[in-house]
Amino acid sequence: MAADQPDSASRPRGRILIADHEQGTTIPLKFLLEQSGYTVWTASSGETALQLIVDDSPDLVLLEAMISNPDGFEICQTVRETPQLADTRILFVSAMARDVDIAKGMASGADGYITKPFSNSEIMDHVRKLLEIANGSDE
Amino acid sequence: MDPTNKFWWFAGVSIFISLLIFIALAVFFWQQLLPDQQSTLIEIIKSHFIYIFIALILFIAAIGFGLDAIFHSYILPLNRLPEEIEVIHTVNPNHRVKRDGSKLINLVIDAINDVADHYQQLENDVTARVIEAKSEVEKEKNILAVIMSELPEGVLICNRDGQILFFNKQAKRFFTGKKEDRRVDASPVKNHKPQPFPFFGLGRSVFEIIDRNLISHALDDIADKLAKETSGVASYFVLIAKDGRHLRTEMVPVLNHQRDFSGFILIISDITSQLEMNNQSDLRVQSLSGGIRTSLAGVRAAVETIMEFPNMSADQAREFTRIIYQESLKIGRLLSQHARKSPDRPRSQWPLIETRADTMLEKITVKAKHLLQVGFTPEAYDDDLQLSTDSYSFSLAVLFLLQRVYDETEVSDFSCRVHQTKEMINFDIRWQGKPIRIDTVHTWEDNVLSLPDMGLPLTLGEIIRFHDAELCPYSDTSQGWSGLRLILPALPPDSAALTRQPTIIPDSRPEFYDFDLFNQPGQDPAVDNRLLTELTYTVFDTETTGLDPRGGDEIISIGAVRIVNNHLMADDRFDQLVNPQRPLRWESIQIHGIQEKSLKHQPVIAEVLPRFHQFAEDTILVAHNAAFDMRMLQIKEAETGIRFINPVLDTLLLSSIVHPAQENHNLMTIAERLGIHVSGRHTAMGDALATANMFLKLVPLLAKKGIHTLQQAREASEKTYLARLRY
Repeated sequence: MAADQPDSASRPRGRILIADHEQGTTIPLKFLLEQSGYTVWTASSGETALQLIVDDSPDLVLLEAMISNPDGFEICQTVRETPQLADTRILFVSAMARDVDIAKGMASGADGYITKPFSNSEIMDHVRKLLEIANGSDE
Repeated sequence: MDPTNKFWWFAGVSIFISLLIFIALAVFFWQQLLPDQQSTLIEIIKSHFIYIFIALILFIAAIGFGLDAIFHSYILPLNRLPEEIEVIHTVNPNHRVKRDGSKLINLVIDAINDVADHYQQLENDVTARVIEAKSEVEKEKNILAVIMSELPEGVLICNRDGQILFFNKQAKRFFTGKKEDRRVDASPVKNHKPQPFPFFGLGRSVFEIIDRNLISHALDDIADKLAKETSGVASYFVLIAKDGRHLRTEMVPVLNHQRDFSGFILIISDITSQLEMNNQSDLRVQSLSGGIRTSLAGVRAAVETIMEFPNMSADQAREFTRIIYQESLKIGRLLSQHARKSPDRPRSQWPLIETRADTMLEKITVKAKHLLQVGFTPEAYDDDLQLSTDSYSFSLAVLFLLQRVYDETEVSDFSCRVHQTKEMINFDIRWQGKPIRIDTVHTWEDNVLSLPDMGLPLTLGEIIRFHDAELCPYSDTSQGWSGLRLILPALPPDSAALTRQPTIIPDSRPEFYDFDLFNQPGQDPAVDNRLLTELTYTVFDTETTGLDPRGGDEIISIGAVRIVNNHLMADDRFDQLVNPQRPLRWESIQIHGIQEKSLKHQPVIAEVLPRFHQFAEDTILVAHNAAFDMRMLQIKEAETGIRFINPVLDTLLLSSIVHPAQENHNLMTIAERLGIHVSGRHTAMGDALATANMFLKLVPLLAKKGIHTLQQAREASEKTYLARLRY
């Protein structure tokens, strides 16, 4: 629903979608990532998130597994099964923190899994690493 | 033949023969007469025919009456006797033969009636004994039944063919849904369509109430465990009753004394409500931790950002402060909500038992082939990997998945990889073909597990949840591999599984069945008049430093067993070495084989006797050559203050009452004569056991001599010659 349109031209470093239904998470995270020069969208439902991934093909998706309709795992599987989205990195940032949840997230094809609460540096490390790989494989 | 007909035959034949003789005599007489004599006789007969005719009639009548009298007083009563006797010894022992014959016959009848009296009395005695014995058994059975029915678990005992031999009230309630016991909540399970309950009763087959596959699965499991001689042999599974209740079931094998499988016990507990509670509390914990994590993430991200970017705009800073405030409020609300919920009750786990992965995979492979006609090849797994599962429902879930994947993709060849990561086990079903969508998996999770010939009235999702597992598809598109991954936490197995041992039926009757212990008449002044078979005995033996109690020889060992209700309580024993506080004589060491050093740390007699006194309290003391042992005890009276005032019986004397012609009444000779096996000769315990067995054999022999009560036994003992031998 809430889908802020960024002007992608001026921010070349990386394009990130935050898919999370909790504003308490998305607002600080968006600010943090934007301060580091990334282009950031947010989506607060599974449906919007999937739509934005297909339409705008972001480089990285920060995905809350608990997002609904469809849930995070399903979004992840769909992305992995779509060849055009092969370069899209997926990082779960989720309050589902059981070992089996993490295992399930990784099995569904995610590139990483961070449990909430996280530290900003932890997120930034993961984002940087994943986008370097993405850019590396691009070039 | 009717007696009247018999009579007429008898009379007819008799009269006919008499007439025949009479006519023959008459013909003979006629031929002897001269012709003029003959004509004179004809003349006489002709003129006086009327007299001759009357005489003839009277003669025949006399024969008839005579025959009648003989017939009624001899033949008829004799004829009746076999029938009457038969009545007495078959249908009516009260019946007596009527005295209605001749004097001689009546004597016979009297004798028969005497025998009948005797017979009736014997039969009454036997009936009384049978009733008595039956009531004992009945009492024991009732006590057993009460104990069993008080158990919270259902108990069901079956023979090897699955025939029900025993069940308690709870088991019946689980399988028939009858609410006999109100203490147990028996409300039907939500969302379950109840099915009609099967018939349930003794002698019926257990397969009528429990799925045959489930029982044979568990029996296979037990057979494996017995063959491998693992420490726990029980098999666990959950069965779903017709009303949808979840019954945690434990199957314990029953072996006979040769360790052959002869049946099984099912111990059943209802875990429905506990499982429901667990699920609810699991969900609560999950939502609580999820909520807290989410809000904390907001707080932390906001705080860290403010700290990291001190120069952010005032608007931005206000926004973040608002987030911090709101999220902290959320956490507070979550916690107070959670605190209001009732505290968690003890958890009941779905019985997850460690099974070797290879064993389980093997079984699934076989079933996949037979039931579904699909290949399932275990590909890679650690050799000694253990899976914590309810093996039946887990196997069923895997087979169900194979079937669904086959329906979806038409792939009929699967492989399987099981590998353990940190705290999880990934159980992967893999195939070459198209992947399964995660939403397809979600719909499967709502399906009830049913396969040809096999099934459980539970959904795939429930089985996964009970295993605390997760199911997700995964694929490796570059290699063309697709798969389903069951993620199982590596849980500790149920502890009960490690301890349950098979029930082995002993060769003889187990002692704890003697429930009559509960109504012993207690200390009775009339103990002397009680039957020897009813009394409680302490049969004991002592080993000593030598054979001279007065000369300072000491007890070094006391062994004793109890006899209760004519049964040897071999487990209720007193077996104690004693420090004699003096050196042992060399000769005595040769007999008992006890070395001095093994007695040094034993208690002294002053400590042992009070305990033995307690052990023997309110019993009759029995010993072989009791005078010696009693003397040994008596000598310590002054020192210990312990007096043994119990009545005493001596098997040596009892044996000489029973077999007065025998000269030798030592322990070994008597044991041999009575066919008793003696082990541990010349240990106090071994001799006490032999003496006890001997005593049990002597009691019925004494009864044959008319010695039934304690008093009779003591008096007869006194009379025997050996009783005069005193130490």
